[in-house]
Order: sequence, then C-alpha cells, then structure tokens
Amino acid sequence: MNLTVNGVEHHVDGGGLTPLLDVLRDELGITGPKAGCHQGGCGSCTVLVDGEPRRSCLMPAAYAEGTQITTVEGIGSPDDLSPVQQAFVHHYAAQCGFCTSGMMLAAHAYIAGGGTDDHEAIQEALGGHVCRCTGYSKIIDAVAAAARGDDFDLTTTAVGKYTTMATGGAA
Amino acid sequence: MKVVGARIPRYDGVAHVTGRTTYVDDVRVPGTLWAKALRSPHHHAAITSMDTAKAEAMPGVHAVITWKDVPLLEYGHLSALGIPADEPLLAKDEVRYLGQPIALVAAETEELAAHAVDAIDIAYEERPALFDVRQAFDDESPKIHNWGNWYPHFEGEMDRRQIRKGDIDWAFENADLIVQGTYRPAAIEHAPIETQVCQVVPEPNGRLTIYSCTQALYFSLGVIAAHLQQPLNKFKIVGGTTGGGFGGKVDTATETMTCLLVLKANRPVKWRWTREEEFLCSSTRAPWHMELATAMTKDGWILGQKMLTLHDAGAYARFSPYGLTKHSFHHTGAYSIPNLHFDGYVVFTNRTPTTAMRGFGVTSVSFAVETHMSRVAKELGIDPVEIRMKNANRIGDTSPNGVAYTDPSTIDTLKAIADATGHELPADYRTMTNEPRDGELLPEHLVAQVGSTEGH
Repeated sequence: MNLTVNGVEHHVDGGGLTPLLDVLRDELGITGPKAGCHQGGCGSCTVLVDGEPRRSCLMPAAYAEGTQITTVEGIGSPDDLSPVQQAFVHHYAAQCGFCTSGMMLAAHAYIAGGGTDDHEAIQEALGGHVCRCTGYSKIIDAVAAAARGDDFDLTTTAVGKYTTMATGGAA
Repeated sequence: MKVVGARIPRYDGVAHVTGRTTYVDDVRVPGTLWAKALRSPHHHAAITSMDTAKAEAMPGVHAVITWKDVPLLEYGHLSALGIPADEPLLAKDEVRYLGQPIALVAAETEELAAHAVDAIDIAYEERPALFDVRQAFDDESPKIHNWGNWYPHFEGEMDRRQIRKGDIDWAFENADLIVQGTYRPAAIEHAPIETQVCQVVPEPNGRLTIYSCTQALYFSLGVIAAHLQQPLNKFKIVGGTTGGGFGGKVDTATETMTCLLVLKANRPVKWRWTREEEFLCSSTRAPWHMELATAMTKDGWILGQKMLTLHDAGAYARFSPYGLTKHSFHHTGAYSIPNLHFDGYVVFTNRTPTTAMRGFGVTSVSFAVETHMSRVAKELGIDPVEIRMKNANRIGDTSPNGVAYTDPSTIDTLKAIADATGHELPADYRTMTNEPRDGELLPEHLVAQVGSTEGH
C-alpha cells in the first residue's frame, strides 16, 4: 500500500489493519504522533487525514491510502513555524510536550475551518485531547491568539492571565 | 541580570511544537527486542510454583528473567541512606499487589513477548488482601508483610514518626472547645501521557546505555547498579526528556529489569507499558487517613493539636518513610501551634505501592488542616479567614520540629485571597503583617513558641 505523508509518498509493506500510528512511527520513523494510550482516549496520536483530525491509533492504515496525511512535522519546521506552532511557543502552551503534536493538529484544523478565538468553541475543538501538565489555560490562550492572527515575538514569552498577581499587575 | 524577571522563551519550545523532541519511545535502535512482564493477577498470593521452560523454548524469545537472575533482589531508593529495603525487584515466593512483576520476557516483537508471558506456567495460593489503611492498622487484621503491617525503621527502630512539642495535656485541659475530624484523601494516579518506558542498548565497550523517562536519573543509576551488583560506570543513562511525570517517574520502574534482559539476550531491549499497565501497576499518590483533635479557646486561639496519620504505602515502603517524615514536619500546616502530639505510621496494604506526587506528604496535610480549620471556625462562629490569620505562622514562630520560620507567607496569602474573593476583613486584620508577634497577637501561651531565626 502507498501512503502520502506530509506530501511525500511512501510504500508500506505492513498489513492494512495495522494502526496508522504504528505504521507512521515504526515503519516510516515519523515520531511526531505519540502513543499515549493506544486506545483512542488521549488524542496524542492525532494526525490530519485530508485536513480532518483523526486518531491514528484507531485508524487502520489501509483507510488512509489515497489520502493526504499530515503530521506535526508537516505543518511547519523550526525555521518556518506555522501560526499555531508560534502561538504554542509564545504562550508557553507546551510543558512536557507529549500531547502537543496532537493538540496543535486539532488546533490547526479548527483554525483552517474558520474557527475564532471563542474559548468555548476552542474547548469543544480540543475536547478530545488530554494534557496532564498545563491545566489547559495556556493552550486555549495560544489557539485563540493563532485564530485571531496575532503576531508572535518568539524572543519572549506571553504574560499569562494568572501571572498578574505575582508581578504586581505588570500585564 | 539577564534572566531573572525576564520572560525568556523556553529552551525546548520549538522542538516540542515541531515534533522533534526525542522521547524514549522515539529512540530507534536496530535489532531491538521487546519486553513484556508477567504480572500478578492477585492482590495478595503465595507463588506455589513457576516454570518458564515453555516460554524460553519459543522461537523468537531471547531471554526470560525471574528473581533468580537478580544479583541483589531487594534494594530500595532509600537504601543508600541506611533504610532497609523490603521490595524484591521481581517477586520470589509472594505477590503483594495486583500487577507486581514476577518475570519478564524479551522477544522479537511485543506480540510474541506477550504470548511468551502467557506460556509461563505459574500457580498461586490466594491470601487475604487489605485495601483500607485504617483496617490494615488494626491489630487483628491479617499480616501482609514480613515487617507486620507498618514500617518499623524510623530512626533505626521506631515504628512511627512521632513529634512531641510543648505541653499537650495543659492545652487540652485549658481548652474551651475540642474539635475533632477525620480526613481521608484518596489515591491519585499521576497519569502522565507518556507511559513508563525505557530502551537499553549494550555497547561494544561492555557498558549499557539506558534511555530513560525517569525524573530521578541519579537515584535510578544507584538503584540499577546496586541490584545488578555492578559499578556505576557500567551504566550511562540518557534522560531529561520526560512526557509527564509529576512524581510518578521517581521510582525506577523499568530500567533495572530491562538491563537484566539486555545482559541475558545481549541485544537492545525496549520495555514500554500500556495505558492499562500505567493505571493498574504504576505507583500512585498515597491515600491517607488523618485524625485531628484541636484544643481551642473560644476567641479562636489554637492551644494544641493531636494528630494520628496513617500513610498508605501500598505493598512496599519505597519513598513512603520520607514522605511521612515531610508530612510530620509540616503537620500544623500554615499555623503556629505551640503544643503538639503527633504519631504517624507508614502502613502497608495490598494496593499498588505509592510514591511521590507534587508536594509529597504535604498536600495531605493541607487538605486535612484547611478542611479542619474551616470546621473549627464554623463551630466557634468565627470568620474562617480571620481565625487563620490570627493563628498564622509569623517570622520567628517554630515549626513542629523546632525550626524557626524566616519567611512565612501565610498572612500575605490570606490577604490576597480575601482581596480576590471580596471577603471583608476588619481594619486590624487588613494591616496585619508577617513580622514577629507582639501585643494581643502574642498571648502567654505563644511566648515560648517564638524561636531564633539566627543562622538561617
């Protein structure tokens, strides 16, 4: 079977029922998607299939044949970060980083689909993604900023809304 | 200063958002075998027989290890401090919690390793299991541990962590009201999104390179070397990238057993836990049982406090004696209490062993003390913020173990909470500070409480 990942076509020998996640990670060495639970519960394996967020741990690889698969590696590079990636850096929206790939792909699809900076809508769009580190506030702030089309200064970090008390209201 | 006060970008931010951060499961080493564990299906049982011959004979299986393969079977993180260990790396003749590892297999694929685990012949004789820490503390409860049901090695030979301060009898004789309460926070699984995982690679120079998600690299180095009875320089641990830990990756959960498989198979081996294993078998935050009795005056002074703490260690001690020690030092919370009687026990149950989690030993105190303070305030009919500010730690007040506080922040914190929640405070509380007590805030019973902050 042939899979197109981040614009590159790969020939894959494995069985078509192998989860797409395992094909990406183990056969193609594309390790951006993570195996947090391998049972569809955490969202860390999320990839875009023809632009739609999908849990690659639940999707048989054969179902993705003939589609455009996008992983986190495909939405930007260190020298050319996408707006969502810039927003996550600037807003400190990644702590351990393990859920971040999946979060950003869901956010990417949300914004591409015309999503706004409405916090409730962002929560709905990211509702299937578990983060155990951050408490989600900074993630939602980041997605909202990217949805607004903010410019991001990556030499500094945004002031979070809960930071003002400690800094005497410097925000 | 270039960094203090500056809003610097995080050093690994770009790597995280581009998927380029290399977590342990992202490390790819050609020829890697996969590990799977035979785990106890019972909460408590004797192992009456075990035979690994069928598993070892399966094509594609390269190593099977049991307790017989471990040079030093029992070793603990606190052994280096002289605290005896109680937990075998692999169970020998008894299992004390569901999911306890008994044997490990290394095979060509994860699936084959799982089949080989199923091929191990093992028989058990179930024993009574205890899941409630208070029940385990009863004298008549069945014994689940060779030390009895609680840890006996504080200060070498004490079966509890005890604190006696001031004159507790005077406090309770002079109280206008005694308020009692029992507080029982439950176990919490850390649930990092990255499950426990390690990859071990045998190097041509005879060393082992260990890719580990540990939060405690040097702890793990010592533990691995001790179990394997090898010098420290035999091991190189590559760590620092952890997909969430929160204390749950302080125990050395995978590395030592994976090293044993590598030494036996002479191949690289990876062991990664499933989400189910992470929930069922990895350590948790401890459940606690805390009984408080507080001697109060009717105008809201705390004269003294008695506390009994039972810390559920689960089946083995691990870091629990350390956690309970911290708990005992902080057991008055943010408040100055001159007369104390504290007994704390590390109690064994047949639950998964418990370990560090964010504020190890102290969050339980905060839960109990703050809930109790609100109960005290309600029973006395005193404002819950004012009673806290009145009894708050001040500069120079001493902790339960006699350390003088140099920089307490209770009053500032309470004022900020009152401001943020629109809670009205009387004028003399609005102007209160952390400075040493005097006047009405230094009644006779607190005079001896004030210690010297010199030397801090």
